[in-house]
Amino acid sequence: MRYGMVIDLKKCIGCTGCALVCKTENATPPGILWLRVVKQESGKYPQVRRVSVPLQCMHCAEPPCLEVCPTGATFQHPNGIVDIDAEQCVGCRYCMMACPYDQRFFLSAERTYFPGHTTPFEQAGYQRHQAGVVSKCNFCTPRLNRGLEPACVANCMSRARTFGDLDEPNSEVSKLIRDRGGYQLYPELGTNPSIYYLPP
Amino acid sequence: MAAVTNPFTAGTWVMEPKPQNIWGVPHTSWFFAMGVGGALFINRALFGVELGRIMGMAVADLLSMILIGIGGLILIGDLGKPLRVLRALLNPRTSWISVGAIADFVFLILDGLWVIADLEWQGARPFAGLPWAGNSPLGIAFQVIAGAAAFIVIVYPGLVLAASPSIPFWNTTLIPLQFLSFAFASAVGLALIFALWLPVPPALLTTWAGAEILLLAATLLLFVAHLIQGSASHATAKVSVARLLKGELQVPFVWGTLIAGLLLPLLLGLYGAFAASPAPGWLAISALLTLPGNWLSKYTVIKAGSYAPFL
Repeated sequence: MRYGMVIDLKKCIGCTGCALVCKTENATPPGILWLRVVKQESGKYPQVRRVSVPLQCMHCAEPPCLEVCPTGATFQHPNGIVDIDAEQCVGCRYCMMACPYDQRFFLSAERTYFPGHTTPFEQAGYQRHQAGVVSKCNFCTPRLNRGLEPACVANCMSRARTFGDLDEPNSEVSKLIRDRGGYQLYPELGTNPSIYYLPP
Repeated sequence: MAAVTNPFTAGTWVMEPKPQNIWGVPHTSWFFAMGVGGALFINRALFGVELGRIMGMAVADLLSMILIGIGGLILIGDLGKPLRVLRALLNPRTSWISVGAIADFVFLILDGLWVIADLEWQGARPFAGLPWAGNSPLGIAFQVIAGAAAFIVIVYPGLVLAASPSIPFWNTTLIPLQFLSFAFASAVGLALIFALWLPVPPALLTTWAGAEILLLAATLLLFVAHLIQGSASHATAKVSVARLLKGELQVPFVWGTLIAGLLLPLLLGLYGAFAASPAPGWLAISALLTLPGNWLSKYTVIKAGSYAPFL
């Protein structure tokens, strides 16, 4: 089994709801964006096209971040999800250097959204985040363990995201990749990302 | 599952190459200190380049231990969780940082033990009875292992950079080679500086100067090769080369590293070694210039690293 995600750029409307729900679900501190949406503009007036491209950890099958980690804090679940054991991380940030997708984040010090004040949500959520270590998207592993989809998938209003097993030829993700020509980002690097994009 | 050609982004970039801003001055200082420290030890143990004695200890061994210790402390200080540093020893199979951290510890322990056994005090060697003292088999084994560890300590920072696939300018074996040659050039340079106060025979001084000249020339060639390779390979590496030669890193790289840190010391070294047969003052000035040049070379190469756009 290898979990993967397909993002349909034709359906994505760039609302950044996935980025918002990711922050809500994972209570990431200020400056830590496990998921973000970039906008691509191409062409010249009047033939201009604007496309939104959501970005997050690609959960590569061959993750460079895992190889370079000196402690083994970065590890791969049997289902292909690349995760970080915060208790093992020493905060050397070598993985951030190695990640070709710029999807790892270092929390240098505890930060709050409101200076000098921590909301009850922050008090509860920030217990999951240590200062001095690297963090990133884990495909909402706690939700998966409860039988739920990742928050970004469950809350996408245009249903642009599909989550499933890339190793299962009849899964929805495999069919979409096959039928719609799903592609990976920076495939020439040989990392074999588990997130595929469908052309807009 | 095979990836198909990206029909959306092929040939176009949404993103620009992004300069890395994670590593900088602390890493430069760490790499510099480790390189010079490791080369000092190897020069002394393998080539007999002595820097005299201080408080009964061989300066070369003591200085290499101090420099590598300082490099290690900089590394530890830069960690997000410094108290967990020993966990960095756990993955030597694939992580160069782990390999390097192990080599640091091995070197510091063995060099420390060697310095103790080699201690001279009031004309006597109080610890000469230790099993690893002098030319005992254990002593030779300690020196060989410490030398191997010192070699790893010199090259592993370069390998750390070279192993990063996301930064094309770093992704080359020329970087560890640069680190190696510049480390030895700086270590020989320190010997030339110390020669101002030591009774070094002129013939030996000329030999050291010759080695320094060769190492500086090799380092200069390696930098030129790196720039040529960067210009001819990946588009992002080309951007890094442009930042070094024409961008915000031009002054520290072109003037600080290539000219003041390599070319000028090379010319001064040639003059000091052969024209003035030999002139210790000129050789010392030449050697002194290589030290900031070495530091700046690492700083500029680190700062020039840019992530390739993936979209």
